[in-house]
Amino acid sequence: MMSERILVTGMGIISGLGYGKQATLDALCSKHSGIGKMKYLQTIHNYYPVSEVPMSDAEMMDSLGISSQTIITRTPLLGIMALKEAFIEAYLDKERPRRIAFINGTTVGGMEKSEQYYPDFQNTEAYIAAHDCGTSCEAIAEYFDGFDMITTISTACSSAANAIILGANLLKTGRVDVAIVGGTECLSKFHLNGFSTLMILDKEACKPFDAKRVGLNLGEGAAYLVLEKEQHAKQRGVQPICILSGYANTCDAYHQTASSPDGQGAYLAMHNALEDAHLHPHDIDYINAHGTGTQNNDLSEGTAIMRVFNDNIPPVSSTKSFTGHTTSAAGSVESIISILALLHNFIPANLNFNNPMPELSFCPVKDTLTKKMQHVLTNSFGFGGNDSACIFSKID
Amino acid sequence: MELNVISYSKITNNKVIYKGNEVSIQRTESSWFHDIYRSLKLSYPKFFKMDHLSKAGFLASELLLQEEITDRETPKKDIAILLMNRSASLDDDRMYQKTIQDKENYFPSPAVFVYTLPNIVTGEIAIRNKIMGETSFFVSETFSPKQLYQLSVTAFTDPDIKRVICGWTDYELNNCDVFLLLLSNENKEGIPFTINNINNLYK
Amino acid sequence: MDALILELKKEIIEVLNLEEITPEDIDENAPLFGEGLGLDSIDALELIVLMEKNYGIKLNNASEGRDIFKSVRIMAEYIEKHRTK
Repeated sequence: MMSERILVTGMGIISGLGYGKQATLDALCSKHSGIGKMKYLQTIHNYYPVSEVPMSDAEMMDSLGISSQTIITRTPLLGIMALKEAFIEAYLDKERPRRIAFINGTTVGGMEKSEQYYPDFQNTEAYIAAHDCGTSCEAIAEYFDGFDMITTISTACSSAANAIILGANLLKTGRVDVAIVGGTECLSKFHLNGFSTLMILDKEACKPFDAKRVGLNLGEGAAYLVLEKEQHAKQRGVQPICILSGYANTCDAYHQTASSPDGQGAYLAMHNALEDAHLHPHDIDYINAHGTGTQNNDLSEGTAIMRVFNDNIPPVSSTKSFTGHTTSAAGSVESIISILALLHNFIPANLNFNNPMPELSFCPVKDTLTKKMQHVLTNSFGFGGNDSACIFSKID
Repeated sequence: MELNVISYSKITNNKVIYKGNEVSIQRTESSWFHDIYRSLKLSYPKFFKMDHLSKAGFLASELLLQEEITDRETPKKDIAILLMNRSASLDDDRMYQKTIQDKENYFPSPAVFVYTLPNIVTGEIAIRNKIMGETSFFVSETFSPKQLYQLSVTAFTDPDIKRVICGWTDYELNNCDVFLLLLSNENKEGIPFTINNINNLYK
Repeated sequence: MDALILELKKEIIEVLNLEEITPEDIDENAPLFGEGLGLDSIDALELIVLMEKNYGIKLNNASEGRDIFKSVRIMAEYIEKHRTK
C-alpha cells in the first residue's frame, strides 16, 4: 500500500533578495542578486561581499509588532518574519491543528549579539543569555504561541534540509499532524572570520561551477515550509503547493570540512533521494545545486552529479549566486526557490559563470530559462560530511 | 518494529563505562581524554586534533563499537548517527573566540574553527568507521530520553538503516556528559529500546 | 639555519597537535604533506597562520602555501628570506 503523500502547504522566506516569495521570485527572474557591500554587520573584514537581509533588527521588530524593549536577537527575528508568511499561507493562523512540530535549523543562534555586547557584559547579560541555538528556536515558537514539539537541528549547512527530512519522518510515523520545518541564520563576525580563515571566501561575487571560482559569499536569511499529509491538508481545506516526493541524508565520511574527490556522500544523497521518490535520474527537470563556489565543493558535487545522471544531466544552477550561502538556512531557502522555479516553470540563472570547469561534462545554466517542469532536486551539504538531497514535485 | 540496545557506553569526568562495567583507566599527568585514549590502546593520530566534544564522542564510540565494527574500510550505508546535547559546540566556540579576541594579536585558527559546529563529532565517528548513513545533531535544553527515543525511532524509517548510534554528547565548562547507545532492528540479543531503559542505562 | 629548522619542527608539532611525534621523528627533507606526517588541508591553513604569527609573512591564498610547505627545510629557507619578525 502506497503511504500517503507529504505535501507542502505553506512557505515563507526572507533573504538578501527581500521579504517574501514574490520579492524572491522577482529578483530571480530579473537576475537581481542580493550580494553586495556589507551594510549591517560591523567588522573590519567589510571588503567581503555578502547577502544581507535589507532590514535592520529595529525595522523587523516594528513590522512584527515586537516592542523595542524586548531582548531578541537577529536570527529569530529573521525566523519569525519568514514563518509568518508560511503560517498565513497554510491557514495556521485560522485554526490550529492538534499536533504541530517546529523543527528549526540554526548554528549561529544569538552569536551576533553576544559578540557585540560581550565587552559590556554587566549591562547586556540578557543578550548573552539569548546566545544558544535553542533560544532562537524558542523565541520564534513563543511569537506563535508555542508548538507541541520543538527542536533545533545544528548540522551546519545542511541543517534546514535535515529539518525538512525530520519533519517528513515525523509525519510518516504519525507522531505529528503538521511539521513546520526550515532554518534561520544571520551574519556574525564569528563565522565570517571562520570562513575567512579557511580561505574559502571570495572577495568578489562568487562564481559557482566556474573554473576560476575562488570561494563563497556568506548570506543571511530564513525560510520555512509547512508540511502535512494529503488527507490532513484536505480536511483543513488548505491549498497544497507541491509534493515532497523524496529525500535522503548520507555521510561523506571523508574529512571534517572538505568533500571527497569522487563526491561519494553527495552521490549517495542524490541516488537515495531518487530511490525514495521512486524516480529515475531522467525524471529530474532541474537541480538546484549546493554550489557554494568553492574549489572543493563544486568539483565534488559536479562529479557526483555526473555519476548519478551520466549522459542525461538536467539543467543545473546554484542560486547561492543570488542569496549567498545562508548556511543553516540554505536547505529551506533553496527548497523554496526550487519550488518557485517548479511552479513558475523557469530555471534560475547561475550568475557570474563564464569559464567551464574542465573536469565536468556540463555547465550550469547561465541565463534564466523557461522550462515546464515536474520534478526538481535540491542539494545541501554541510561540514562533517553531512549531505542531504530533497525532491519536490508538482501535484498532478 | 522491535529495536534493541546491543551496546552502550558512558564517559563522565572520572568514569568510563562499557556495557554497564567500569573500564579501568591508567591515570598519568596527561589529560583525562588522552589517558582514556592510551588505556584503550588506540592508534589514531587525528584524535589529537579534535576539540573536547569530538574527543569525548569519539572515545565513547570506540568503546561502543569495539565488538560490532571490526572492518573500518568498507563503507557502511546501514548505520545512522544521531546525537544530541545542550551546549552545542560552546566549549570550542570559546577557544575560537580567544583567537580573535585581541585586536593586536589577531590570528583566527582554522583548525579550531572547524570544531565550532556540534555535528563535527558525528563526522569524526563516521570518518573513523566509514559510516555513510544518515547523521544528525540536535540541541536540547536537557537530556530527554523521550526525545531521544522518538528521534531514534524515526531514523529507522529509512529501510536501509539497520543500526543507529544515538546518544547525548555534552561537554561544557570542563564537564563531560557522554552517553551512547547502539541500536539494532535485526532482533539481535540486547536490551529492549524503551524510554524507561534509556533512563536506566543513563543513570 | 639548523636552529630555525629545529624551532620550526617544534612549532609544527605544537600547532598541528602532533602529540606522538618528536622533532627527531621529522625528517626536514621529507615531504610534509601526502605521506609521512599525513597532514591535510586544514593543517596547511594552520601553517599559513603560523607563518604570519611567528615570522610576519603573509600568504594570500592556500595555493601559495603548496610550494613553501614542501618540506621543513624549504619552509625554513623561505622564512629566512622573507621574515619580518
